[in-house]
Amino acid sequence: MERTAPRRGIARAAAAAALLAWLTVAGFSSVASAQEEPTEEHAEISHESEECIEKLEGGAKPADCHEAPSPILPETSELVWGIISFTVLVFAMMKFAYPALKKSMDARADKIRENLDEADRVKTEAQSVLADYQRQLADARNESNRIIEEARQTADQLRRDLMQRAETEVAELRQRARDDIASAQERALADLRTNVGALAIELAEKVVEANLDREANMRIIESYISSVGSSEPASS
Amino acid sequence: MSDRVDAYAAALFEVARAEGALETVEDELFKVARTFEANEQLRSTLTDSVIPVERRLGIVEDLLGGRAAPITTALVSFVVAAGRGRDLPAIIDKLIERAAADRQQVVAEVRAAISLDAATIERLAAALSTATGKSVTVKAIVDPSVLGGVIARIGDTVLDGSVRHRLDQLKEAI
Repeated sequence: MERTAPRRGIARAAAAAALLAWLTVAGFSSVASAQEEPTEEHAEISHESEECIEKLEGGAKPADCHEAPSPILPETSELVWGIISFTVLVFAMMKFAYPALKKSMDARADKIRENLDEADRVKTEAQSVLADYQRQLADARNESNRIIEEARQTADQLRRDLMQRAETEVAELRQRARDDIASAQERALADLRTNVGALAIELAEKVVEANLDREANMRIIESYISSVGSSEPASS
Repeated sequence: MSDRVDAYAAALFEVARAEGALETVEDELFKVARTFEANEQLRSTLTDSVIPVERRLGIVEDLLGGRAAPITTALVSFVVAAGRGRDLPAIIDKLIERAAADRQQVVAEVRAAISLDAATIERLAAALSTATGKSVTVKAIVDPSVLGGVIARIGDTVLDGSVRHRLDQLKEAI
């Protein structure tokens, strides 16, 4: 809608200028035609004929009588009317067409400038978005690298921990096995000592039972009585 | 528990003293208590509540009838009939302590592998009296596990002069 209004103004101004030019040219042409009276022309021709006749009579050649009109230079009257018409046309164009045309061109230039500014702004925004995207991409890449590095370090640490734990467990198992073996040896030796002791005591009991008759028993009891009887009373 | 044992011991003591047979009852009850402790079958039979009281009393009568004084048998039957057979050794020990205390004495439980004659028991009592500073009455028990020598227990004090004790010390040393 904004673009059709200046175009319509331009078209209207161009049509008005063309109509004005046509009217001007047509008017002046008719005026010029109306001023060329056939009598004067015929009189001028007659005057030229008379001059030609005089020249020919004077011994001039026919070519000297008829000077052909210039194909480039128009008639003076046409030139005058053309200048006037052109001036009028230029004035009309400056008066009517040029402001509309200038306004239209200015509007178009403003529009183009706005579009360029908008394009610059959009470009700036796009560049900003691109920069953000690139920054985010770089951040994401850094973050991913950091995560990968952390994961690698964690995996290394975990591997080291597992290795250390496994080594510790192996050492503990080995130590436990050694302790178990030592403990089993000690138990076996203790059992052996106990069994030997029990066997010896059992043997001693059998020997005592076999040899400890009543008389020997009474001697032991008498010894006990002597021992207890000679001891000091226990303090209460 | 302890109050009940004391009450039964006091009752038995008073009955024995009233009957004028305290010393006899004391000796016989002491032997009954030691037999009761040593014989698992006898202990479980006299303390089994499933067995009728009459049956348990019949067993007591079979064991003691004719071998102990009637008052001793009656007192043991009384405790078993009251359902206190499990506490019989504790009641008897308390009765003996009470009887000794009544005589201003303490009881020494003496275990030996052989039976001791009266003279030996008397010398033992004198020696233990000297050692403890108290008048001691000796209750002798034949215990073959002692092997030789004697073990005297006076209250919480034990004076062990047995071959068994020496063998145990040797065993510990080994």
